[in-house]
Amino acid sequence: MDFFVTIAILAALLGGAGSCFGQAAIEGTVELPKGHFVPVENERYEIVSKAGVLATDPPRAVVYLAGNFSRSERLPHRTVTQKELAFIPGLLAIEVGTKVQFPNEDDTYHNIFSYSPTKRFDLGRYPPEEHPVPSVVFDKPGLVTLRCDIHEHMRGLILVLQTPYFTITDGKGHFRLTNLPAGRHVLKAWINSRKTVEHPVELKNGASLQANLP
Amino acid sequence: MKRAFLCACLFASALRSLSAQDFLDQLHQALTISFFDDRVRARASGLLDLEYYHYPQPAPGLIEAMGHDLFAPRLSVFVDAKIGPHVYFFAQSRVDTGFDPSDLGAEWRLDEYALRITPWDDGRFNLQLGRFPTVIGGWIQRHLSWDNPFINAPIPYDGVSLVSDRELPFTGQSFRRVPAFDKYEFLPIVWGPAYTLGASVAGRIGIFEYAAAMKNAAVSSRPEAWEEFNFHYPTYELRLGVRPNQAWNFGLSGAVGPYLLPDAHPMPAQSDRGDFYQYVLSQDVSYGRGHFQIWAEAFVSRFEVPRLGNADMFAYYIEAKYRITPQLFAALRWNQEFFVTADDPAGRPVSRAHDVLRIDGALGYRFTAYTQLKLQYSLARGDFISDNLHGTFAAQFTVRF
Repeated sequence: MDFFVTIAILAALLGGAGSCFGQAAIEGTVELPKGHFVPVENERYEIVSKAGVLATDPPRAVVYLAGNFSRSERLPHRTVTQKELAFIPGLLAIEVGTKVQFPNEDDTYHNIFSYSPTKRFDLGRYPPEEHPVPSVVFDKPGLVTLRCDIHEHMRGLILVLQTPYFTITDGKGHFRLTNLPAGRHVLKAWINSRKTVEHPVELKNGASLQANLP
Repeated sequence: MKRAFLCACLFASALRSLSAQDFLDQLHQALTISFFDDRVRARASGLLDLEYYHYPQPAPGLIEAMGHDLFAPRLSVFVDAKIGPHVYFFAQSRVDTGFDPSDLGAEWRLDEYALRITPWDDGRFNLQLGRFPTVIGGWIQRHLSWDNPFINAPIPYDGVSLVSDRELPFTGQSFRRVPAFDKYEFLPIVWGPAYTLGASVAGRIGIFEYAAAMKNAAVSSRPEAWEEFNFHYPTYELRLGVRPNQAWNFGLSGAVGPYLLPDAHPMPAQSDRGDFYQYVLSQDVSYGRGHFQIWAEAFVSRFEVPRLGNADMFAYYIEAKYRITPQLFAALRWNQEFFVTADDPAGRPVSRAHDVLRIDGALGYRFTAYTQLKLQYSLARGDFISDNLHGTFAAQFTVRF
């Protein structure tokens, strides 16, 4: 028993040493566009409306390390929830091959669809208690715009990336990418469908780099 | 006509490109404004419809045109505004060739404007004032071109009867078969969405829904009557609904009110237009799940016709839509309408329209989230003129922004 405990502790220490000394990190800021999208619900022909206003979502950017990286062996399932007539999160970044679930947490039907060439699908109308939760595997890189056929103001984005190294900035543009491989790479920031900025970086084992993207 | 439609198809191809879709996404955002930390927000949106019809004479339904072809473009602009959590305003303005497709000149109208107050968060009570659609039936929620799988309306909202709100018969035989050129004098059970003026209350308590309205004109009234600011001859509308779950929706509706226009003639001596009522009872049911949706409605309507007594109608339709692929859908609708008239007070039979059977089939394709093409063929037997079988082809290209 002691032997296995010793092996486990050693493995943990070696693993920890690897992440401390064998991998790099980048942190910095992306300049985000000013303003934010303010959704307005079309309630014209609803028999009954509820009070309340829709939440707004500040712009964010997806920051990722571009390069020829091997694909992650085990991809986590990700979730885009439909709640209070909005997609949460409004922007999701995933690696190619990731399965995304779309649970409905509203008390009304939703009908999620995408006509984006990256992934065309239509999940049909489904209620909150739908099981199994409707899901889609995104098997091509690119941008997918999510919409709801019932609630025309709803819009969400999924950026499908060919890299396992990515993150999403906060509302002020701050980001931190960790566990990056050493070497020369290109750091990219996807800001919106018309704008992606990039910056060449050279990463060293165990070092942290500061990079601000205009 | 064909050239215009070809242009529409080329337009569709152009709008299919990603950059065009991206442009419409940006436009969607650009047409939204907000103030006071987003507590007041408004959005303009719209529909551009290019419609083409090919039909035998006379033109079917509420279409008012001579010849056998009609190209009818329409631009609808909407404003939706939210003022805090409890107040909502909407308006619709249109530029087209008439509320119903016609070969007349272009006109601009303000078809809808309404203010809705929702005092409680759960939607148990809404008060709405302004000009807005009837609360009866189950078709209003999907009557706009983008939401409707068909180009025309179901027969209770589109099929013209022999009852006129202006030309009143002297005898049962003058309650006559209608020549094509004055078809516009006659009424359906419900005239499209019936954007009449008035006030409504509506709400949902648990699985139950209610909506009641007092409006300025009957549900069968023509568009010219909708904007008349006169509540001396009001129509009362009521709908009670049950929604046991998100898939099913059941409703019972009724409407009652005078239907004659101020210039209705010749009026019987010592009578007033407020003495002659339209009564409507209807039942609606809908089901939706996955890629399949089905709707059905049945209407009974009675018109009190001066000098003749009652003219009764029964109409129903069953409509189904299936989304075959994310972008392609098909729809089928079965409509029937029956007319009943008794003998006139002199004991002479009252002429009546032919009962109508109409089957509508449609295919639709969404090129993008903002562009859609629908093709429809309708095969009908019987109308207010003849009992012949006849077909109508229609195409509609829509850009949403």
